[in-house]
Amino acid sequence: MLYREALNRAIDETMQMDPDVVVLGEDVGLYGGTYRVTEGLVAKYGERRLIDTPIAELSIVGNAVGMAMGGLRPVAEIMTANFSLLAFDQIINHMSKLHYMSAGKITLPMVVRFPQGVSRQLAAQHSESYEQMLCAVPGLTVLAASDVNYAYHALKKAILMDDPVIFIEHELLYNKKGEVDFDKQLDPFKARVVKEGEDITIISYLKMVDEVMASVQKIEENLNKSCEVIDLCSLNPIDFETIAKSIEKTGRVVMVEEDHRTGGYGSQVVSRICEDLFFNLDAPPLRIAGEDVPIPYNRTLEQLSIPTPDKIVEQITKWGRENGL
Amino acid sequence: MAYEIVMPQLSASMEEGKLISWKVHPGDSVKTGDVIAEVESDKAVMDVQSFKDGVVKELKAEEGQSVPVGTVIAVLETGNGKSGEEKGEKEEPKRAPNIPKSASKEKEPVPKSAKSSKSVVDELFSSAEPAKEPKAPQKHEPAETAEVEEKRSSIRPVTSGEASPKARALAARYGVDIEALQKAGELPLPAHEEDIKEWYLRRYFTPKALKLIKLYALDIGVFDRSEKIGEEDVKEYVIKNHIPLPKPLSSMKKAIISTVTEASKKPVYHIFDSIDSALLKRYETKELTYTVWLLKLFAEAMMEHEEFRTTLKEDSLFVWPDASISLAMAEGEDLYAMVFKDLNKKGVEEISSMLEEMKKKISSKRIEPDDMTGSTFGLSNLGMTGIERFDAMINRQDSAIAAVGSEIEGKIAVTLTVDHRVVNGYQAALFMRTLKNIAVDERFFERAKKGGD
Repeated sequence: MLYREALNRAIDETMQMDPDVVVLGEDVGLYGGTYRVTEGLVAKYGERRLIDTPIAELSIVGNAVGMAMGGLRPVAEIMTANFSLLAFDQIINHMSKLHYMSAGKITLPMVVRFPQGVSRQLAAQHSESYEQMLCAVPGLTVLAASDVNYAYHALKKAILMDDPVIFIEHELLYNKKGEVDFDKQLDPFKARVVKEGEDITIISYLKMVDEVMASVQKIEENLNKSCEVIDLCSLNPIDFETIAKSIEKTGRVVMVEEDHRTGGYGSQVVSRICEDLFFNLDAPPLRIAGEDVPIPYNRTLEQLSIPTPDKIVEQITKWGRENGL
Repeated sequence: MAYEIVMPQLSASMEEGKLISWKVHPGDSVKTGDVIAEVESDKAVMDVQSFKDGVVKELKAEEGQSVPVGTVIAVLETGNGKSGEEKGEKEEPKRAPNIPKSASKEKEPVPKSAKSSKSVVDELFSSAEPAKEPKAPQKHEPAETAEVEEKRSSIRPVTSGEASPKARALAARYGVDIEALQKAGELPLPAHEEDIKEWYLRRYFTPKALKLIKLYALDIGVFDRSEKIGEEDVKEYVIKNHIPLPKPLSSMKKAIISTVTEASKKPVYHIFDSIDSALLKRYETKELTYTVWLLKLFAEAMMEHEEFRTTLKEDSLFVWPDASISLAMAEGEDLYAMVFKDLNKKGVEEISSMLEEMKKKISSKRIEPDDMTGSTFGLSNLGMTGIERFDAMINRQDSAIAAVGSEIEGKIAVTLTVDHRVVNGYQAALFMRTLKNIAVDERFFERAKKGGD
């Protein structure tokens, strides 16, 4: 099953389950979604439940907030994360806060889906990542799906959850293949240990998990040490327990993210690691992140601006050798 | 009461110290932990502290003077004893903080990369609890010692130096003075967790002792670490406590265990008989051993009895066209069931060289999976050991096995162990009869010498 098919199935099943689930966004209906995530659903559930909206992100999220207040379970799609900036007033001032401002009288059982990240030459205005801003807003749950199984289970739970959820997807993951275990329930707030290891903890999320997994073998050969790879899955709240358990074992941590290094989400993770696990660290934490530049259009420069398996291998190897491995 | 302060031993290799400067003058009062002098060891300049409250009575060394370790350099009047007593307490030459003397015996440098010993260190260390600091014998002041030690450590933190947080945390817990050890060249800079662990273990255990502890999978917590533990100490402990030597199973051993466990599940019965040995004895040569002849003999009988070329798999029996026999071959602790294929097509010369080939494969451990599959019948010959009769366990896929004993009064005992699902008792008895007939048939021996069929 493909990542986008897993998302489609999650939406389909929840729509089947609960008539209050509605989908809205640009081209989600007739066209089946820019990334084909809602393909076939309009034929099944009709235009009243798959709503094609104008190109107006503020109104998409604003309407979703209103629908959620009125008792529906809207799933809003932002075509690409950069466009969500127009909807940030709704996201930050309303979606995240109404439950709080109404002393709990209003609940917002809604999801906003965020395709984001560096794709192929979509340039600076279509390539960004915003988890760092979203995770800084109390009241939002932020999930990031890096794998097919998680995408299916987590989106389903996000839709059925009564809290507002930002569901981050990566634009290059839609055609990723994987298996979904339909029988086994999954806790969307639990980080995933993708690979177990003893000496280095590598934390990542979204597409960078794949890049890390593509680098691990080489790193282990170079350093003759084993790596544990953690996919955070839930960015806010963060499953710090899994991180702590791993670092207590390895004593070394590398944070890999695609976003710009300065202010990137990983800086928060590393900061908490230093605060809470200082005496478990046997080496300074290493952050591997995107460069502090607008994402270039030129393919070569684009690749130079974000972590790639080659760079991950090189940086972790160098860091490891400098720090007693 | 007079209290003598001596030149301390500040590093493992220090024999004398140079008095750089006095921080007190005669008549000054000092408290426990106060710095009274600066001393230069062979490694660095360090402070000398007082371990008692009192008044400085006399300074016995000049600034700039080199003084051997253990020599009195100052006398304090502590005032709480019999003042008339001339011979007061004498502080024993103290070791440098946390550097035991025994460490200096070990001249081998701390290895930079601990890769080879890593697992040992890790495994052992997991059971290490901080040992009590080995203290220099202090005859007269048992009650105060702890307090003094505690004050000392609060004055000079023991976890400075350049080290990772994890290394520091560990060092603090185990009372390892990173800075001093780095100055002494015993810890790398920066120090990591691994370095501290290794140093700590080396300090209490000799490498040979550690190896033995690992071998016996002992908990290092059981050793009293008031002094360095050597190989002999570990041996003594092992003998005293009747500790068995754990012997991890080799993959070959595991395979044998699984094979015999499987074999024991087969519904088997036995047939006891013997064959005439006269012709075997006559045709035996250095190359054409009993084993070679027996392989050919059984192969010949198998060709007449297809049940012994039959295997059972799931719901079907399979009859194989040729006679292939698995022969039990032992080397040391290991036992191999090497398969000799298509023996009906081979002469004894050829079988003899196959046997040599298999022996070579076993001793060089170059056995391929194909060398151990494809048989339907097994042979185990213990005749050369003088054993009269025994029975064997059926190898993996085989349906029967023959256990051959030694030659007694012109007879060789043969015990057939047969899987009843494949071969019934009557069939097995007929097979035995054929075998006996072939053993006395000279034409068979002549034919087998010429080649296969």
